[in-house]
Amino acid sequence: MKTNKKQNERQNGRISRRDFMGAAAATAAFTIVPRHVLGGPGQTAPSDKLNIAAVGTGGRGSSNIESLKSQNIVALCDVDWRHARGTFRRYPKATKYKDFRRMLEIEDNNIDAVIVAAPDHIHAVASMAAIKRGKHVYCEKPLTHSVYEARVVAKAAREAGVATQMGNGGQASEGTRLMSEYIWGGAIGPVREVHVWTDRPLNGLDRVYWPQGVGRPEDTPKPPDTLDWDLWLGPAPERPYHPSYAPFKWRGWWDFGTGALGDIGCHSIDPIWRALKLDAPLTVEAACTLVNDETYPVASRVTYQFGPRGDMPAVKMHWYDGGMRPPRPDELDEGRQFGTNGTLFEGDKGKMLGHMVIPESRRKEFGTPPKVLERSPGHYQEWINACKGGKPAGSNFDHAGPLAEAVLLGNVALRASLKKKLTRTRLHWDSKNFKITNMPEANKYLQRDYREGWTL
Amino acid sequence: MKDREQAGITRGAQMSRRSFVGAAAAAAAFTIVGRDVLGGRRNVPPSEKLNIAGIGVGGRGAGDLDAVSSENIVVLCDVDQRRAADTFKRYPRARRYKDFRRMLDKEDKNIDAVIVATPDHVHAVASMAAIKRGKHVYCEKPLAHSIYEVRRVTEAARQAGVATQLGNQGQASEGTRLVEEFIVADAIGPVREVHSWSNRPISPRGIDRPKDSHSVPEGLDWDLWLGPSPKRPYHPCYLPFSWRGWWDFGTGVLGDIGCHQMAPIFRALKLGYPTSVEACSSGVNSETAPLASIVRYDFGARPGFPALKLSWYDGGLMPPRPAELPNGLRFGNADDNLCIGDKGKMLGHRLLPEARSKEYGKPPKILARSPGHHKEWIDACKGGQPAGSNFDVSGPLTEVVLLGNIALRTGQKLYEKGLKLHYDGPGMKVTNFPEANEYIRCEYRDGWKL
Repeated sequence: MKTNKKQNERQNGRISRRDFMGAAAATAAFTIVPRHVLGGPGQTAPSDKLNIAAVGTGGRGSSNIESLKSQNIVALCDVDWRHARGTFRRYPKATKYKDFRRMLEIEDNNIDAVIVAAPDHIHAVASMAAIKRGKHVYCEKPLTHSVYEARVVAKAAREAGVATQMGNGGQASEGTRLMSEYIWGGAIGPVREVHVWTDRPLNGLDRVYWPQGVGRPEDTPKPPDTLDWDLWLGPAPERPYHPSYAPFKWRGWWDFGTGALGDIGCHSIDPIWRALKLDAPLTVEAACTLVNDETYPVASRVTYQFGPRGDMPAVKMHWYDGGMRPPRPDELDEGRQFGTNGTLFEGDKGKMLGHMVIPESRRKEFGTPPKVLERSPGHYQEWINACKGGKPAGSNFDHAGPLAEAVLLGNVALRASLKKKLTRTRLHWDSKNFKITNMPEANKYLQRDYREGWTL
Repeated sequence: MKDREQAGITRGAQMSRRSFVGAAAAAAAFTIVGRDVLGGRRNVPPSEKLNIAGIGVGGRGAGDLDAVSSENIVVLCDVDQRRAADTFKRYPRARRYKDFRRMLDKEDKNIDAVIVATPDHVHAVASMAAIKRGKHVYCEKPLAHSIYEVRRVTEAARQAGVATQLGNQGQASEGTRLVEEFIVADAIGPVREVHSWSNRPISPRGIDRPKDSHSVPEGLDWDLWLGPSPKRPYHPCYLPFSWRGWWDFGTGVLGDIGCHQMAPIFRALKLGYPTSVEACSSGVNSETAPLASIVRYDFGARPGFPALKLSWYDGGLMPPRPAELPNGLRFGNADDNLCIGDKGKMLGHRLLPEARSKEYGKPPKILARSPGHHKEWIDACKGGQPAGSNFDVSGPLTEVVLLGNIALRTGQKLYEKGLKLHYDGPGMKVTNFPEANEYIRCEYRDGWKL
């Protein structure tokens, strides 16, 4: 393994980790405690820098890397080196890879942590491979592509004791804290209904971020020379390359993405999850436009029912996408925007749009809630701190796993083959036993088969 | 144009009204009182048959003609000879036309009533032309393509005193009566929220105008098909049937199904004009209606009824399954209504929960049952009581339905302004967003008028 590593470094003309660390230490005048004093792999002193590898370095990955560039970016892995070009240029000293499995093998001793910003269908296999090697993991949302993967990855991270963070940056915001503080402070009383919506995949009036509700393309254009299509597919079933999938538009395809719900749900449901102390839903149901087994529907509404938690009553959460949204509340003053993406809590004593209590009279009467939650040093900083022995990050996998599971369960309720049966019931979810109890055939959508050669 | 028009009248099938009526009278042994005895050209006694002209006789029009085939079908008018072929065959003695204006000119003295079953954009001009000649009108839903047209047609029919009926045949059903009887009996208490939905569309939506050109198929008079709508080249994406998705011709799912689906709600809850409306959708363009939409109306309090919110869903969207509905009972993949009252819920005309339905049984039967939707109209044409969906009833209903389309078309702009549309029903005007009023009335092409 080590030989391989050295060979590779030599071949690539890259500097060894030791040299690299030396150079980094020299530039960082405030480096006090060297890593080896603390001993044990995976322990990085707060004063030291993490050595980070990234899986998926274009698009979202590129901005993750930028946000973590206070640390050492030592290895970059992307299946499309043209897509990765900008990032590669910005970090010329980082070793470059196409296959994250190979990268982890070769760089095992050189890296502390991994950023996973590949398409959704790669999240679990990449995160898991990193976790198994004791690496800290920052993974883009949604945590995984299937409910099962979310369960397994969260468990593995817990057992490995690595620091984790999901890429739902909003969790670190002031707004997220305010939502909890208003709810907990009794601003709108017990909440029995919540609405949360995004216009995605719709973008404005007549454009889309990515297409949904379409079938598989029949033409088979040649993949770009720089793209390793087989690696891009990863554990997903084999199919010919098409520009409809990569880059970015994979979000709309069942085999690769998780639709608008997967894209935005982990962002926007997160503060609700916290404020209402949600755990696994009891039932899930959905209504949507025509859906096939290739792409997610153009628009949908997914409704989750959660049981009572502590002193909080049972609550229904409605998700809307593709331009659908809840009714504009009468309590919202005319001229106030309702929002392209938004959250509306309905409590016994008032409503809350985001963290704005409505009507205004109630807002004034209530004032501001006590500040009971600690503020964040920043979403990425949380993870850096956690990697260096600090407290767990706000969206660590013990939090993000169940959240992602609920989000992805919504997609199960959208499945075409279940639609007919779902006109007669909802999906009943037994989270503890990881099972949909009233529709056995739905369970196959909790997990997916991997292509040969791929394991979790 | 005129030559083609005349060529469209099949000479062989022509027959004078006199000989036709004579033949009909001979066949109907129970004909007692002759029309001329009563005097006045529109007074047809119950014992005599109406002479009916069909305008738009394929598709739904064929169904309507069959439903009134107890009367004399004397004239058939269609701009598309292919689409009309089967109906022409079924009524070989009916005289045939392409242009309803010419037909009404020629047949004025020979017909008592017309059935308008053209695409939506022709409803008003055809109905109005008939009303102006004192003909009774059965018009397919929605009553018209724009709110302005609906208002004018409704007023004209009232003034002319003709018998009218909109093609929302569900209004004649037992279910419609049960909904009202449950409400009157206070079975679910005051209703403040209603959800109404359809799983349509079944033709393409959310698409742009085609750029390729096609030659007009033989048998179709494209210019007449366009009628009062702006000129555009023929394309097979418009007809048959799929005109429903195109704003210039159809009225979307809301117009297609809304007049059916909301009629029982309007009746039972005595709805009038809404005070405001808002809409969201899967994307609107200036050409076609959206693939899926939600339209939400606010109605003020009416005597004996509290203010109410009515939500319309289409394209597969619908409200969540009510907690009171037991597993195993179907909810969705169909058109339905859910009324939410202070004391219970009602899905269609089924009380929820099931226990409540069993305990309650049926409400007192206070409403007269219908002899049938088309029969109602036939009776009204012959001096009987107004049909259940006469234009005084179905006009306001259609206006509300069409207002939803205005909300859809202006929805995103309104949304960005943080507004709902505020509507002055009697004044026929959106009060807080003037540009929405452009959609109240549509311009007609030269040569067409209401």
